[in-house]
Amino acid sequence: MTTGRSRDPISATPKAGVLLRVQGLHKSFGGVHAVRDISLAIAQGAIFAVIGPNGAGKSTLLNLLSGIYRPDAGSIVLDGIDLTGLSAHRRVRHGIARTFQKIRLFRRLSAVENVVAGFHIHHDIPLWQYVVHAPAFRRDHARCREEAARLLAFVGLAHRAHAPAGSLSYGEQRMLEIARALATAPRLLMVDEPAAGLNAAEVETLLDRLQALRRSGITLCIVEHNMDLVMKIADWIFVIDYGQYLFEGAPAEVQAHAGVIDAYLGGQPQ
Amino acid sequence: MTGTRFKPTPTPSAPTRIRLRPVWRRRIAFLAAAVTIAVLPLLFTDAYWRTNLIVCALNVMLALGLDFVLGYAGQLNLGQSAFYGLGAYASTLLITKAGIPFWIAFAGAVAFSCLAGVVLSLFAIRLRGHYLAIASLGFAVITYQILLNWISLTQGPLGIYAIAPPPAVTLPGVPVIDFHNLANLLYLVAGFALMSYLLLDQLIRSPIGETLTAIREDEVSAASLGINCRVWKVFAFGVSSTVAGAAGCFYASFVGTLVPDAFFVTESFTILAMVVVGGMGTLIGPVCGAILLTVLPEFLRNIGDLRLVVYGVAVTLVVLFMPGGLVEAARLASARLGRLARRGIAQ
Repeated sequence: MTTGRSRDPISATPKAGVLLRVQGLHKSFGGVHAVRDISLAIAQGAIFAVIGPNGAGKSTLLNLLSGIYRPDAGSIVLDGIDLTGLSAHRRVRHGIARTFQKIRLFRRLSAVENVVAGFHIHHDIPLWQYVVHAPAFRRDHARCREEAARLLAFVGLAHRAHAPAGSLSYGEQRMLEIARALATAPRLLMVDEPAAGLNAAEVETLLDRLQALRRSGITLCIVEHNMDLVMKIADWIFVIDYGQYLFEGAPAEVQAHAGVIDAYLGGQPQ
Repeated sequence: MTGTRFKPTPTPSAPTRIRLRPVWRRRIAFLAAAVTIAVLPLLFTDAYWRTNLIVCALNVMLALGLDFVLGYAGQLNLGQSAFYGLGAYASTLLITKAGIPFWIAFAGAVAFSCLAGVVLSLFAIRLRGHYLAIASLGFAVITYQILLNWISLTQGPLGIYAIAPPPAVTLPGVPVIDFHNLANLLYLVAGFALMSYLLLDQLIRSPIGETLTAIREDEVSAASLGINCRVWKVFAFGVSSTVAGAAGCFYASFVGTLVPDAFFVTESFTILAMVVVGGMGTLIGPVCGAILLTVLPEFLRNIGDLRLVVYGVAVTLVVLFMPGGLVEAARLASARLGRLARRGIAQ
């Protein structure tokens, strides 16, 4: 099923080396094959996009990669570390972070508290200082607030730091989810439909921020519906339909591929 | 949120309010609480009110413990009466049957109820919401039945009598502190309640606060940030049952008799009412709720069991009209007063 690939994804990307390698991934829900025999390689430092029509299994794939679902078969390896059997919270420690298609912020916490919660795995406080707040605690606290302020400024939310996350606009909430995920200091950031519900100006900001992240060395995996956005920023595009591999290649190749147009438009290309 | 639609225009004539750093605000509040506790026995000299105040302090501990697991970690635990009872029976049995000194028995009983909380949560952790509530309620019922029916150990409904208060403390330079004296016992229990508050406050202002509230708000999201939800829920249960167990130890030595009926499951709901009425997810809320729902029914003593109706009505009203409890009500009221005051100055 995965035969006939056009080219090796690695050669098409700026830096060589595979960060995440997925082999023969399979997941079914009560007889429905949501993801069937998917194999892919995400290159270090690249922007890797997964596209496909509604219900193609994009979000299931992302949930398998982030550990919310366990695969029925297949393996997920991040830079030599086998993540397949690890639960979601353990994968974060190996450098995987994600955002959600349906926004899942801590609505009653402020924006800055949402980001601080993202530092969970990076606190450096001796156990007793959780009870008696001594210098090491205060250093950690100051560092977290500083870092959080920096991340909020990065996504353009510095002025909203103390607003409850639930009171932010839709676009702001999407950006806050990215800031929160960045707080875990990921090597691979996976964003699930980041442009859904954003207006044109917000999409521009989003594109700019994602490119800034790539420049800072973070590998990105974008699951997206918005073809324009994907064509603009992705280095490599992976197309799935009905949970299966359909095609992969550089944006120009994907655009020209008849099967992809078919899957998207559900009709015959001209 | 209220008051965000119309921002009051700053008026030059408004007096500048002195803003204290949070550290100092907390220190002053702590000092005020300590002073209040110190003067309470001077204001209330009769045994009746002193007894009520000790019950208040016990309920404050129970409500604080429940709030840690319910208001912060978001886990509805209806087993608080069981941990309360386990603390009381464990310490009393260690003292009366094994002849262990009070404070060692206290430490043992607190450790035992902590362990019970951890074990319960290890089993109940997969459950959420209503299912967790039912499982923990089941635990409370089972514990009650064991206390009632394991007659060779607990003497069941006959009860254990003549439990001594904590031993007198002899400090150089001060008269002997004897806990037969209700004022001294009040200092002891209220002191422990204050310490529980401080301990929980420190934990919540540490990154643990964000971790627990993250779990309360969204477990999938919390896991995506590297939070091991299971471990932290067990931790919250353990802290909660530890505080309840400590309250139990003091209950036994304060009342002097121990019967299982004191730890019937309705006690869990009473504690829940205190937390909800006061305001979940704040620490001062459960303190206010516990004091209010302990003192208020005393004025309604002659209506007997109808006071349970008072609890029910209070909880229903709060849930319907003021989900944030007394704390939220006070915040709204002070915001409104502030606006009125500013308007008054502006005119």
